Amino acid sequence: MNAQMFFFIVFALIAIISAVLIMALERIAHRVVAMAFSFFAVAAIYFLLGAEFIGIVQIMVYVGAITILFVFGMMMTEHRNVGFGPDPRKTQQILGFVGVGFLLAFMLYAIVTADLPNSGEPYVGSAEIIGLELYGHYFIAFIGSAFLLTSALIGAVVIARKEAD
Amino acid sequence: MVSITLFLALAAILFCIGLYGVLTRRHLVIVLASIELMLNAVNINLVAFSAIGPFANITGQVFTLFVITVAAAEAAVALAILIALYRNRNSIDVLKHDLLRW
Repeated sequence: MNAQMFFFIVFALIAIISAVLIMALERIAHRVVAMAFSFFAVAAIYFLLGAEFIGIVQIMVYVGAITILFVFGMMMTEHRNVGFGPDPRKTQQILGFVGVGFLLAFMLYAIVTADLPNSGEPYVGSAEIIGLELYGHYFIAFIGSAFLLTSALIGAVVIARKEAD
Repeated sequence: MVSITLFLALAAILFCIGLYGVLTRRHLVIVLASIELMLNAVNINLVAFSAIGPFANITGQVFTLFVITVAAAEAAVALAILIALYRNRNSIDVLKHDLLRW
């Protein structure tokens, strides 16, 4: 087992275990911390794949911004309430578990049996190539995402503020 | 190099955990966290194909950037809706918000 395989297994286990902890932990704050750990492990997977720029963006946007946003969302709503009491949707939970389990089994079967040729050397893209592509081929999409972010900013402010009668 | 199959399997597992959370959790913040988890799994797929896929090139990473942008915008608007919902109806339990259900 080489070093890459070892680090992949470590980070994959961290990602999966913290993803399960998001569902399993009791307090909402603990769940948000588990979510941050999961995002960190995914960023480490990106570094392992040689996508440094995406890894840095993942740490900045997901761990730095979205987790803090979730902490604020948690603080402004009912975070002291640990649970909502017994769930009346037992059948739905069981059906959900079975359905998602079947989906996972099918996807894993498809992935294992798919004949994917490995391109020997991993492709390493730098931030420069990403920038050139972003301002070249995908310029319109780039401007579109700028408009999307602006409208999301304004929309979030308008929706979340108190109604001024 | 680690085989691409393992990366795809990791992404599939994370996606299914997120899907299960969306379908069964009651706390709306956790439902949103599960959606973010699913988007993350998709990003792992894109970056894996971009790095060690059959036709490895930069496009996967560019699309990952777009997915991250849309995910950030979605999280901001969704949490704003969550706060407005909590102010108006005093609960973020999914089961209590079934006004549109027939």
